[in-house]
Amino acid sequence: MCQDAPLTGSPERAARRLEEIRASRRTVLTAAASGLAFSSALGAAAPADAASPRTRKRCYVLVTDGCRPDEIEPTLTPNLHALREGGMWWPRATSMPVMETIPNHVMMMTGVRPDRSGVPANSFYDRELGEIRDMDQPSDIRVKTIIERLNKRGFTTGTVLSKEYLVGVFGERATHRWEPELYIPVSGHAPDLLTYNALTSMVDEFDPHLVFVNLGDIDRVGHTDFTGTNLRLLRQAALLDTDLLVGRFIDGLKSSGAWEHSMVIVLADHSMDWSIPTNVITLQGAMDEDPLLAGNVVIADNGGADLVYWTGPKGKLDKAVKRIQQIAEATPGVLKAWDRRTPWLRLGPESGDVVVFCQAGWRFSDPNPITNNPIPGNHGHPATRSIPFFIGGGHPAVKAGKVFSAHARTVDVAPTVAKFFGMRTPKKRYDGKPRI
Amino acid sequence: MTSTKTTPTTPTTAPPASSSLPRRTVLATGAAGAAAVGVLGTGVRAADAEESGQTGAAGRGRAGHEVFQHGVASGDPLPRRVVIWTRVTPTPSATPGSGKGKPVTVTWQVAKDARFKKIVRKGRFRTSAGRDHTVKLDAKGLKPGREYHYRFIALGQKSPVGRLRTAPRKRAALDNLRFGVVSCSNLEAGFFTPYRALAARQDLHAILHLGDYLYEYPTGGYGMGQDNVVVRPHDPPHEMVSLEDYRRRHASYKLDPDLQALHARYSWILTWDDHEVTNDQWKAGAENHDESEGDYKKRRARAHRAYDEWMPVRMDGTAALGDGTRFYRRMRFGQLAEVSMLDLRTYRDEQAALPGVDATVSDPSRSITGKKQMAWLKESLTRGDHAPQWKVIGNPVMIAPVTFGDLPNDLIDPINDVTGILPADGAPYNVDQWDGYTADRREVLGHIRDHQVKDVLFVTGDIHSGWACELPLDTSTQPLYGDSYGVEFVCSSVTSNNLKDITGAPQLTPLVETAILANNRHIKYLDFDNHGYSVLDITPERAQMDWYVIGARDDANTPIEWSTSYETIAGTGRVTAVDAPVEA
Repeated sequence: MCQDAPLTGSPERAARRLEEIRASRRTVLTAAASGLAFSSALGAAAPADAASPRTRKRCYVLVTDGCRPDEIEPTLTPNLHALREGGMWWPRATSMPVMETIPNHVMMMTGVRPDRSGVPANSFYDRELGEIRDMDQPSDIRVKTIIERLNKRGFTTGTVLSKEYLVGVFGERATHRWEPELYIPVSGHAPDLLTYNALTSMVDEFDPHLVFVNLGDIDRVGHTDFTGTNLRLLRQAALLDTDLLVGRFIDGLKSSGAWEHSMVIVLADHSMDWSIPTNVITLQGAMDEDPLLAGNVVIADNGGADLVYWTGPKGKLDKAVKRIQQIAEATPGVLKAWDRRTPWLRLGPESGDVVVFCQAGWRFSDPNPITNNPIPGNHGHPATRSIPFFIGGGHPAVKAGKVFSAHARTVDVAPTVAKFFGMRTPKKRYDGKPRI
Repeated sequence: MTSTKTTPTTPTTAPPASSSLPRRTVLATGAAGAAAVGVLGTGVRAADAEESGQTGAAGRGRAGHEVFQHGVASGDPLPRRVVIWTRVTPTPSATPGSGKGKPVTVTWQVAKDARFKKIVRKGRFRTSAGRDHTVKLDAKGLKPGREYHYRFIALGQKSPVGRLRTAPRKRAALDNLRFGVVSCSNLEAGFFTPYRALAARQDLHAILHLGDYLYEYPTGGYGMGQDNVVVRPHDPPHEMVSLEDYRRRHASYKLDPDLQALHARYSWILTWDDHEVTNDQWKAGAENHDESEGDYKKRRARAHRAYDEWMPVRMDGTAALGDGTRFYRRMRFGQLAEVSMLDLRTYRDEQAALPGVDATVSDPSRSITGKKQMAWLKESLTRGDHAPQWKVIGNPVMIAPVTFGDLPNDLIDPINDVTGILPADGAPYNVDQWDGYTADRREVLGHIRDHQVKDVLFVTGDIHSGWACELPLDTSTQPLYGDSYGVEFVCSSVTSNNLKDITGAPQLTPLVETAILANNRHIKYLDFDNHGYSVLDITPERAQMDWYVIGARDDANTPIEWSTSYETIAGTGRVTAVDAPVEA
């Protein structure tokens, strides 16, 4: 779930952000010709070619947030479909647990799984603070991102992220950053038209080698589409609009000649699933009724996944994990409750002790069954793991019209970008694989 | 499939077995591919015969008779091993099922070349009457994704040369994978022309046979058309019940030249349906079994034993006999696909009785897979991050729901009149399929939905007709919302009777097809009236099924033509028509 983003933009928030930017010695604020403001690392507010490695290569990672792979089709999304058909396509691509926005964006840029990056979910229980919070702090990412690695080699980078928690978690890593100050009420994101303007403006103004873009409309409208779990009329309208903007961006690359040197990676961070109002799971009550667990369990709700934390004595952890699993799996709508230490999950201690996934068509609302998660569209559970993943572009590294059976994942983006720019494999290897 | 058993009659027409000879001649001259195979029938390539010192066309050598008259076969390809099979006839009296004949040591060879100048593996295998003189072993130590030639040598004779192909290595990135797909091959109902056509192709990787490889009925019990015309008589002439019966019936099929050619040309991946034991079998009985035929489970054990002896398959994961009969199994083809073959007979509960089907078919305590196989099937669908892209399920009976919800009575009645299998209230249409076990189907499709599994492809036989279907959880809303959790391609029968054969009234078929398509919008294609085979071509981008149909089943030279093709694009779960078949 993504609802933990601010529901409204606020002048106070904007003022605080500006204050933070001004206070930073490493950041300068640039007003572009479009009227949009960009934050840039000190000394970097100039086009890339001035002080960067001599290459015309450009890479754009466009995240169509929450897009399902079956939504890429000729009628609804003709531009995305054409980009897919003309480039390299991995039909078996998936998001990685937990199938949420922040961890998968972090996996894209770090190339490593959450047990290494430290970012397993959107919402988690911060044991030090003793509270549930979003993973939206720059220090939440414990490893170097491809953004920083490129910067270190003299390349320039940009982030154009429509969601505030993404702006937060990636912080000041990129050379140039667009940081929207106002968000659409309820959905809590900057609209794609604004994001698109920021992207084109950043490319015109700074032309970074890598731009990492999150287009949030498809996801945000999907979350709140109350036209029905199946019709999804608003969602379809968002798909049409976002597709149009992507098409415009590609046309712009082609008309400027940049296309021949560009690689455009298009993927989603997760898919989307819709639940009906009666299919809501709340585990907190059942945990509180258990003698062992009462008062010793905290749940971080992530829409399609609940992260359950044991806060009781360490010596009773194993017993508590089993009890949590039993209670969760006996609850209607629960697909599976995993011991977080299960090797394949690779989530790390930040994700708690038990990770509970719901079935398709259900959602979690913890701890309060009414107020915590009222929206129909959710992700985080296995029913939302499939994603579109394709690479277009005119650069020779992009093989036209190739389809691959390999299992591409969000974690593959960083190694792919690294290979494109000729970077060496880091000492601590990527968990992902380059796809070019 | 449910078949109407009739009292055995004198064959109406019984072309002599020798009629196959001119047909082979026609093939050798008329089908370039078949001629290139060079292993049609029991004939031995001239060069091989000369090389081995065999004399004359029969190549009988010192045995004085044909030792390898049942041909050769291979199956269940894995990256480094493939099952190879033959049967030796040590003396003329050591006929299949006779229990006669001395033990024989057979030499087997696997080579890179057809002349066996580059032998890569060889060995000796001891067989005896205890296993009906069949030879079956895992040829191991082969290289992945390679084609090999194999043969057997015994009693001074060499077998026909077969070709096998190992599966590619686990992580291989394949451009395509292409299977011949067949089911329901009733020897008495016609010539195995579809086998002949597939053997002539050079573009396949393996053959999928989805069940009803042979039939149990007595001669005249289930022949061609309404009159049960016996195109070629079964052996034994009575229904197979004893171990000797099952062995003899297997042997009679293995004498068919088209079947031999296809076995020799490609490795097969098979599952069984009901007729390998008896009609409409379930875990403790069968429609075509009564007390006079003894204990059902003992009969089934005999059938399974003969099957294990005579077929190039692994049971319980081995080529050895007597170590178990678990037949559901997986075979992986690089990163592109994994084939999971189901056994939907051995563990299923009894079929619902017609017409009172409503409550029974959805009873969650009933199963078509059995509990263990269901868990295994679900694991096949969600096998972690490194599972292949396409999940191909070799499915003996149809899984797509077929409902007659709002069908007007004036359409239901004629369908009911002609098929005799429709309940009057218009609920499920065939309780022997997954439609009779809806809780199991819901569990499978629900599992696919819960894990957002993509590219699940059921490939099915049994129903003697061609279908292309999407797989919704809710057929009532599917036309509007388009939810589909996989697709199903159903091949027609090689020879077994279909609708027009049963009714004798082909003019009614369009009515039935139209009614079914109109009331089941997830079904995109249906052909109730043709026999033939299919070719399934799988690429990372899509899976396409081509349907080929034959003319008269009792005409050994009947024409073969492409009928139609459908594809499913990766990730969609949808089925769409395609203009042309894949190039052979």
